[in-house]
Amino acid sequence: MRLQAALFFAACLSPAAAIYPDEVNHIDFHHALLGTPSPDSTFFLKPSPASNASLLYTLSDKLLLGAVNPRDGGLVWRQNISRSVNSPAYGAGLLRGFDGNDAIVGAVGNYIASWSAQDGKVGWENRVSEGVVGDLELLELEDATATSGVRDTVAVVASEGAGIVRRLNGNTGKTVWEFKDTSGDVPFQVSSSSTEVFYISLQSAMLKGFKIKVTVLDPLTGQQTRQQILNTEADVATPESVLYVGANSASPIIVWTDKSQKSLKVNVIGTKEINSITIDNTSGSEIRQITVHAPRKLNALPHFLVHFETVTGAWAEVFHVDLMSAKVTKAYQLPYLPGQSAVAASVIDANVYFTRITDLEAVVVSSASHGILGRWDLQKPSSDIALHSVSEVVAKGKSVAVRSALFRKHGDWQLIRNGQIEWTRHEGLIDAVAATWAETDAQEDLAHELEVEGHETLYGAYLHRVKRHVRDLEHLPDWLKDLPKRILSSILTDEVSNLDSFGVARSVIVATKNGRVYALDTGKHGAVSWGVQAVETSQWNVKAILASPGVATIYPDDGSSVTVDVSTGKIVSRIEPSSSKLHSIAVFEVQDGSSLATVGVREDGTPVTAFANEDGFLVTTSVDGRVLGWFAKYNKTPVWEFVPPSGEKVVDATARPAHDPVASIGKVLGNRSVLYKYLNPNLALVTAVNEQTHTASFYLLDGVSGKVLHATTQAGVDSTQPIASVMSENWFAYSFWGDVDGSESSAKGYQLVISELYESPFPNDRGVLDSATNYSSTAALPLPHVISQAFMIPESISHMAVTQTRQGITTRQLLCTLPSSNSIVGIPRPVLDPRRPVDRDPTTAEAEEGLFRYAPYLDFDGKWYLSHTRDVAGIKAVLSRPTLLESTSLIFAYGSDIYGTRATPSQAFDILGKSFSKLQLVLTVVALGEGVAVLAPMVRRKQVNALWRA
Amino acid sequence: MSQARLPPPPPPQWVVSLNSPMPRPSKAASSIPDPPGFSSSRGGKQRQQQQQQATTKRPEETDALKMKKAWEIAIAPSKQIPMNAIMMYMSGNSLQIFSIMMVLMLFKGPIQGLIGTNAAFAKYDTPSTHSRLLGVKVVYMLMQLVLLCLGIWKVNAMGLLPTTRSDWLAWESERQPLERAHFAFR
Repeated sequence: MRLQAALFFAACLSPAAAIYPDEVNHIDFHHALLGTPSPDSTFFLKPSPASNASLLYTLSDKLLLGAVNPRDGGLVWRQNISRSVNSPAYGAGLLRGFDGNDAIVGAVGNYIASWSAQDGKVGWENRVSEGVVGDLELLELEDATATSGVRDTVAVVASEGAGIVRRLNGNTGKTVWEFKDTSGDVPFQVSSSSTEVFYISLQSAMLKGFKIKVTVLDPLTGQQTRQQILNTEADVATPESVLYVGANSASPIIVWTDKSQKSLKVNVIGTKEINSITIDNTSGSEIRQITVHAPRKLNALPHFLVHFETVTGAWAEVFHVDLMSAKVTKAYQLPYLPGQSAVAASVIDANVYFTRITDLEAVVVSSASHGILGRWDLQKPSSDIALHSVSEVVAKGKSVAVRSALFRKHGDWQLIRNGQIEWTRHEGLIDAVAATWAETDAQEDLAHELEVEGHETLYGAYLHRVKRHVRDLEHLPDWLKDLPKRILSSILTDEVSNLDSFGVARSVIVATKNGRVYALDTGKHGAVSWGVQAVETSQWNVKAILASPGVATIYPDDGSSVTVDVSTGKIVSRIEPSSSKLHSIAVFEVQDGSSLATVGVREDGTPVTAFANEDGFLVTTSVDGRVLGWFAKYNKTPVWEFVPPSGEKVVDATARPAHDPVASIGKVLGNRSVLYKYLNPNLALVTAVNEQTHTASFYLLDGVSGKVLHATTQAGVDSTQPIASVMSENWFAYSFWGDVDGSESSAKGYQLVISELYESPFPNDRGVLDSATNYSSTAALPLPHVISQAFMIPESISHMAVTQTRQGITTRQLLCTLPSSNSIVGIPRPVLDPRRPVDRDPTTAEAEEGLFRYAPYLDFDGKWYLSHTRDVAGIKAVLSRPTLLESTSLIFAYGSDIYGTRATPSQAFDILGKSFSKLQLVLTVVALGEGVAVLAPMVRRKQVNALWRA
Repeated sequence: MSQARLPPPPPPQWVVSLNSPMPRPSKAASSIPDPPGFSSSRGGKQRQQQQQQATTKRPEETDALKMKKAWEIAIAPSKQIPMNAIMMYMSGNSLQIFSIMMVLMLFKGPIQGLIGTNAAFAKYDTPSTHSRLLGVKVVYMLMQLVLLCLGIWKVNAMGLLPTTRSDWLAWESERQPLERAHFAFR
């Protein structure tokens, strides 16, 4: 019996959720994002000495470390360091690498680790106990102890009142030597030349400002050899005043300016001399930013470039350092150009090249002379401001080729190769806070015309229709022209690929925290159709995005709103913010269903305005953990109020999705009787936790009367772990971390509880209301009969959603976001049936119903993973949307990464599979037709002959 | 059976030759093929003989014989009942092409039989047996109905009869709430 049940189960479910290899990258897309790359920790690097191929490495502001393939912008590997760091980050993270060295070293806060540059595997990791890592350099010098290819690391640790310089073994991360500076100076940076290690600290001057102190250390022993103090207290007020500390070059330099930014001060580390260079500002406007670009290789020429930026333009000056005299001389100048520009330095052998990318062109110059080696016009000049770039130059004889990874202010990371944009990574999407499916207005005109026809007289409507069809004839030539191509393409391509006309290609509007709005096209693998800066802010707390045909309106929490055109991204209208901060946005569908009306809800749960022409009720939550019910017409006092028992705090509330069709109002049992579902669109599931007694309570409320229809309390709940809940049709599910140690049973771990609501415990019974066609919640509302079951699941669920299909006939999947394994799993609802028989095998009738024996452990089957092998990290919410195909549901996940796919919970029963060949069918029909044409005369002749012979 | 008042005139020559057997055709004549549409009249000869025999029997005997035959026909369907019952029992309740075909055949037979009740007994229906044939027909119809019941039992066992609540579920509609609540949770 068990085998039979198992076989039945296998037959029913096993193909249902599986994703086939040929569907990967076909039905799904994934934007594996890194975040804003930090300028100091982004570089091109050749991970292997054997190969000339380089990868683009970065450590982002989100503490994601990643390697990007510069060819196509694809992510090679990615590590989330923020999971390893247990102290607050000290500024941005640090990342250092070295050409030909298969280890990159990074540090964030007190965490320092080495990763293999090729595959991102951790080589070693180290946690500094004394403080946080202030600076990091790889020692380039060769010494007798160093094995080839592995470089040791020098790190500065800033602890309380002391700076520690440590040399860490490149293979193990163990400390080789340590130099402790207890003078109380501010530890600043570390640098090295071929023979010495320099520890730069800032010594507080008597009155104000800092003196730069350079301590020269022996790289082998860590002993202090000499010390120099530069009298810079007049210029250096804060550590930020020092522009640059040259790391790892033949002549490391320290660069700073005087306070009025009139002259540039350069010191070659190890010498006492300060070179003062007058800044020749001819632009007329104030210098906004000065950046120094120098090569980071020991054998590179000691040249460097200083880039001056004003509000309107930028210029750059190239300087040479004389190694003998430690003198700095200006070699040449890159001219002032209006607009933005970004400069990057790159090294081939000993030659240094500077790449300057302005709004219109990309220019490569050698550090030795001002002759332009290569100049390319940018194909698509961007108005977006370029923040910083890294470049890689390849010399081919006399000409050069360059590729630059340019980061723009609005979050686009572009690779520009010889003026051509090769790829763009939309890193701004990492801050997505809200998203919704866009509604296109393609059918709007037709709907309008049909409406006109409906309102006219019979004759008028007929004339109107004839006219419309005559008008439509103008599309006929195009249609005929297109016909052969369409037939050919429909025969040659797979059926699965051209489902766009079935509502599979949808636009998604995504709003990010920094005020940007993007549109992603699910039909084109999530390609970004447009991105606009809707608001200049860094904290755009979007509460809701509402899509109506053609436009989408974004409502942040300050009472303002921005309406954008979904096809172009143009901002259509804007409402200025109001004074009160909003907690949520309530949405009403206005009677005709075409437009949506919204009302803001304040933090205390009161609606901002009342709705005169709306009969409905409104349910809101307040910040202090109450649930309130309102008449839409009256916003002064609530109709009802739900306050959880003392000690409990409402943490979450959820309701049925707006589109939640129910195909069947009852569940047919094995003996063909019916268990009627308790269907009420006004249900709300409220989660409340008590942190003292470690309990979590789940209340099922009626949204109109506020009546508690069902309540359950789980003991031993860890409220710090995510508690996710979802509701659909006649069931709800929630998950939490629980530790139940009861006399009957004990369970410790993540649990998933599913509850189904029925009108009556008895089959063929519709409860008290029986066959009434409608009911009122204010009258006696019957209580549901609740059947629940709990499952132990292997990991936590941070968010739950349900697949939606057009008519709800397809079985649903519970979409769970698993934060610890970075994946999204779709659990088929039949598996989560609370009526599964416990401790016995199912009877024949139960087996016929599809029920199989209950097992407390629910392991996530590999076939259920919608994200299959992908690493879908940091998902905050999952959206689902029906398509015109009943079998298919669109899924879009956002948060940190962006992921989209299609789910077919009951298999793609209304789509011809890939094995279906139209060509074969056509050929078969043609062959049969030909056969008939050839055989028909023969048979006719034979019949006539037979008649004559008889 | 009609009474002749006058002695019948001697039959004409063609009647005599029609009633008397054909002369054996000559060897040469037998090799000539029959014209199209002509069948050899051997059957006609037999019918002739039967008619001659029947007319020779007495009417009471004929009626008794007819009734006996009619009863045989009326009882005949009952012989099929055990066979059909076993077949239906063995064929299983799943919806497969064979079981569906068998059930269709099971329905086709009795319904055709019921429709053709009068036709089945038409040759035994004479004014003298007409009243007695009524009981026979009732028994025949009962037998067919028993077969039909067997079919209905089978269809019910296959779950094709809308006898349970679940069969009418699609016509039941969801109860509509009079009030609507809108949620503003996020």
